[in-house]
Amino acid sequence: MPLEPDTLTPLLIDFPFEWNYIRSIIYVSLYVSLTAVVLSTLFSLPVALLVGFKDFRGKTLLTSIINTGMGFPSVVVGLVVLFAVSNQGPLGSFDLVFTTEAMIMSQFILAAPVITGVSLAAVSSVEQNVRDAAYAMGGTKTDVALVTIKEARYGIATAVLAGFGRAISEVGSVLIVGGNIASSDGTSVTRTITTAIQLEARQGRFETAMILGAILVVLVLIVNAIVVRLGNGGGGGRYE
Amino acid sequence: MTLEAIDVHHGYGTETVFEGVSLSVSPGEVVAIIGPSGVGKSTLLRLLALFDAPNRGSIEYENQAVWDVSEQRRLEYRRRIGMVFQEASLFDASVRRNAEYGLRVRRSWTDRLRHELSSLVGKTNGTGDAIDALETVGLREQADQDASSLSGGEAQRVAFARALAYEPDILLLDEPTSDLDPRNTAVIEDAILEARRRGIGVVIATHDMHQAERIADRVAVLLGNDIIEVGNTETVFENPTDERTRKFIEGELIY
Amino acid sequence: MEIQRRGLVAAIGSSAAVGLAGCAALAGDTGDNENSPEISGETLTLTTTTSTYDTGLLDELNAPFEDRYGVTVDTVAQGTGAALETARNGDSDVVMVHARSLEDEFMDEGYGVNRRDLMFNDFVLVGPPDDPGGISGETDIETALTEISEAESEFVSRGDNSGTHTKELELWDTAGLTVEAFGEWYIDGGGGMGEILNQASMQDAYTLSDRGTFIDMQSEINLDIHVQGPVEGGPEPLMNPYGIVAVNPAVHDHVEYDLAMAYIGYITSIEGQEIIEEYTSEGEQLFFAEALSEEPNFQQYVPEGWESSNSDE
Repeated sequence: MPLEPDTLTPLLIDFPFEWNYIRSIIYVSLYVSLTAVVLSTLFSLPVALLVGFKDFRGKTLLTSIINTGMGFPSVVVGLVVLFAVSNQGPLGSFDLVFTTEAMIMSQFILAAPVITGVSLAAVSSVEQNVRDAAYAMGGTKTDVALVTIKEARYGIATAVLAGFGRAISEVGSVLIVGGNIASSDGTSVTRTITTAIQLEARQGRFETAMILGAILVVLVLIVNAIVVRLGNGGGGGRYE
Repeated sequence: MTLEAIDVHHGYGTETVFEGVSLSVSPGEVVAIIGPSGVGKSTLLRLLALFDAPNRGSIEYENQAVWDVSEQRRLEYRRRIGMVFQEASLFDASVRRNAEYGLRVRRSWTDRLRHELSSLVGKTNGTGDAIDALETVGLREQADQDASSLSGGEAQRVAFARALAYEPDILLLDEPTSDLDPRNTAVIEDAILEARRRGIGVVIATHDMHQAERIADRVAVLLGNDIIEVGNTETVFENPTDERTRKFIEGELIY
Repeated sequence: MEIQRRGLVAAIGSSAAVGLAGCAALAGDTGDNENSPEISGETLTLTTTTSTYDTGLLDELNAPFEDRYGVTVDTVAQGTGAALETARNGDSDVVMVHARSLEDEFMDEGYGVNRRDLMFNDFVLVGPPDDPGGISGETDIETALTEISEAESEFVSRGDNSGTHTKELELWDTAGLTVEAFGEWYIDGGGGMGEILNQASMQDAYTLSDRGTFIDMQSEINLDIHVQGPVEGGPEPLMNPYGIVAVNPAVHDHVEYDLAMAYIGYITSIEGQEIIEEYTSEGEQLFFAEALSEEPNFQQYVPEGWESSNSDE
């Protein structure tokens, strides 16, 4: 056991972690997943708007690719990213294997189709009338896009949450590309809550794994609450 | 400040909508387009609102063909035109923010920002202000309500205020009262006359002949693929030159 | 950077019994300055097996090394096969595994250099306390395995190309049994040692485990040792030797070769070997140091059988 239980704040009867360990795992989890989700959202929203309101060749194909991507197995994504960032791969020279950057890449790939797909449904449901009104009031194409996003904000918030849920709860790809590394002093380098759970379960420490699982659920709930709060607060928000 | 459609030919795919339609609207006049539903009144208004370019012919603003200029220049033309649709199509936001929308998108550009500042300075004379526009439709008190809480008639009045707020030169109204009760219809009609008083040129598409008679200075009759007759309201209604106009006005189906 | 490297060389010089590892580190140091990668200059990536990682030994071993050289050791726990594959791709700098045949293959292909014997423990055949196969106390592993297969008692295999898996397959093979012909009682678990022990415990099945992981998990699971390894006087085939190999910088020029050699030097030094000897879990010693010997042991540097075919040197 790398962690001495006797140095802990006795919050629970036998809380089997050092706070530094748990804090750093949460930090790595949130850093990786939030970054991936922010990047995915910045990428996915324009794509959703484009696919939602432009007609072009291959649109059906693109839509089905997005839908397929929503269910893409995370381990496969992990393998592909590992291949890309491996020293033998096309991005090998960037030295990304077993880094949080590589984990962000794979979670980006996992989250982007979910965010694009759900956002696409949301923006597609915005009535053409409302978009026409924005255009007729003198809005540019950008203004119309912003109105569409604003009108679809609840759906988009759902999309972002779904993407975040997929990112933070997946274990396959971050394990492969991140390597589940913690330093010898018990600070997480690329260990996330999910890979820590996997590690604890592998070692038969199911109670510890359960506590980590509970922490993960609480984190997801907190992030959901924050996003829902932001969504509601945006009701009187601005279109600019 | 005249907006004109000149010899416009238009259609979608193989379907022809217009063959040589011409219509103009000048400041301070109300032009009603009447005709049976499905004849293309909305299409004509969308062409006048510069949504799409006509297949042939031209749309001109102050004698400038608007589709011959850059998109940036055309945006400036578009921004002198307001439009109200049959459905209110309000944004999911407060009434005030809806009414301010046109003003807000104009502020994004720096030169418009300056324009906006000067109009803010000139706010004392009450022009170009969203609240003032809401006053025109009698909804000033509801400014801070959520748009979704309004009745259909109130929503349409806000849509009218939204188009009026940025003081367009031309106001295009597509069946603005066809879903409304008489009271809300009266409010909108009063607002149309107020707009005319301010020197705005109004084009209203309507299937309500009485409405055309009540508020229009001129009437254009859209039938088939063309405007078959355009003239002073009184002349068109009392003494039409085209036989089909007379039949249409008298309520006889002609096709 | 320069100062750190000098300190590193000095430290290597002062640590005893580094042997070949130390010399290579000195040589690697001068060559590395021109093309030292900028990002992970102070990070050594070690791929290793779940059995060494899950016991917690590596944390004990790495902390003093990291402190002394001001570097970080990123330890990635994989199966032996995966650990070597990661190194083949140049994604790790040093590999610590326990499957001599796979290590030899790795070196034969030119990916690994300067292999050292590191430590050993042994494998134990564990199973449910009621011993449905009736093998308890058996001193011959081949007989024990044959009995399990005849009784068709459930057996969980790692099935992950790890060192333990490789060993297990070797043992079935020596016993003259064909794994492919086994029935449903032979379960391909497909996981790390800890996971497989959990599975075996839950399914009342036998499995082959390294002693270290078993001791470490003993309190969490319901399995007993039925055939001891050589550490407790059991049969020699259950020996479980660990080796450590640096990734060949001539094949992957970006690897942290000098750091890898420093690590090998440290881990095979008196200090490193003492940490291994003294590391216990649940009061039991898990690993036995093997790197230090007054007798020459050239076989550790090269693939087994290499000597005979190259005797003209």
